[in-house]
Amino acid sequence: MRNILYLLFIMVVTVHSQEKMTTVEATLLKEKVKAQAAETKTITSDFIQYKHLDFLTNDIITKGDLSFKTPNMVKWSYVDPFVYSVIFKDENLYINDEGQKSDVNLSSSKLFKQLNKLIVNSVKGDMFDANEFEISYFKYKGNSDVHFIPINKKISKYIKAFHIQFNSKGDVVEIKMIEPSDDYTRIVFSNRILNKTLSDAVFAH
Amino acid sequence: MRYLLISICICLVGCASYTKKNNFKEVAVTNDVVYNPYFSDASKDYVYKAKIEVYNKTFGGIFIVKKIAEANHRVVFTTEMGSKIFDFSFQGDDFKVNYILEEMDKKILLNILEKDFRVLVREEEHVFNKSVKENTTLLETEIASKKYFYAFKNDQLNSISRVKKGKEKVQFIFSDISAITAKNIQILHHNIKLTIKLKSIN
Repeated sequence: MRNILYLLFIMVVTVHSQEKMTTVEATLLKEKVKAQAAETKTITSDFIQYKHLDFLTNDIITKGDLSFKTPNMVKWSYVDPFVYSVIFKDENLYINDEGQKSDVNLSSSKLFKQLNKLIVNSVKGDMFDANEFEISYFKYKGNSDVHFIPINKKISKYIKAFHIQFNSKGDVVEIKMIEPSDDYTRIVFSNRILNKTLSDAVFAH
Repeated sequence: MRYLLISICICLVGCASYTKKNNFKEVAVTNDVVYNPYFSDASKDYVYKAKIEVYNKTFGGIFIVKKIAEANHRVVFTTEMGSKIFDFSFQGDDFKVNYILEEMDKKILLNILEKDFRVLVREEEHVFNKSVKENTTLLETEIASKKYFYAFKNDQLNSISRVKKGKEKVQFIFSDISAITAKNIQILHHNIKLTIKLKSIN
């Protein structure tokens, strides 16, 4: 009897943490995020990245900041425990690895272009494309948690799912990229500021 | 006749053993096991920032080693943003590729990486010969039928060299060592343009 009670308790907790949204709630969220993304010209934010590998005792934690400017410039800068930045601009990746600069042209690889587009879109949270993803909507600790499962087999070979958490304003607070092996990268944003003036020089290599 | 003499001379120099060439003196083997302690703590996650230089191209990433059990290590390389590039398991003499990015799935490359990382994580091996010079001891062993020399200075493992015909082919150099952790590791290939530099970040 006690075991059944425990089991029920666990089930209630699980259901509570992953409650599915109604169709109306999901539509409202989608509209809110899309409207927010359309108005977003720039984003700056701090982030903490947790790399989870199942066999490790602790997640690998790296910290840095993110800058985004329309239409499609993104810069990820890591400052701790190493200094490294990568700029996604036009069809190139510009890397600065502790002062050592290099670049990668993505124009010849359709797949990398697609992955690149996903990264840019996930920063804004606007990935609501039913042709590209199987999308499901959940409520999680006062936030919205949306699961995007890539339909394209070439993409799903690299990423099994994106889980994006939105706050009540429809702004992205967390991105989780899950690999086919179930290892994942979780990025938690803080101090996220929208539409602050951001010079192009930020994205210069 | 003169050519024969020259050939003999070249052979004598070329075939001279690695230890003799470096003025080491052979002594009796006292402990027949050599230990590499740098990936021996199963409670520790070994995380390194990596720079790989291959044919004048450099790329970086995160290099991760975890001891899962005795003679069982997981070796993973990811980009800075967390995407996995490769994921290997070394268990005893077995080698398993859990994952490798399609673009890197080349047999010749896999062979090199397998050989390098097998040596890096191998904790103990049988010693065949021992030689000394001042405060440095060289212990000769064999891993996967290749000859290796472990160099200890004041009982601290400083380098491992793969040697063929008296010449160093690959060197593993450990520095900035505290207790049983090497904060800096370099894997230098002398026969191909490949260098792997690892710097501990945890």
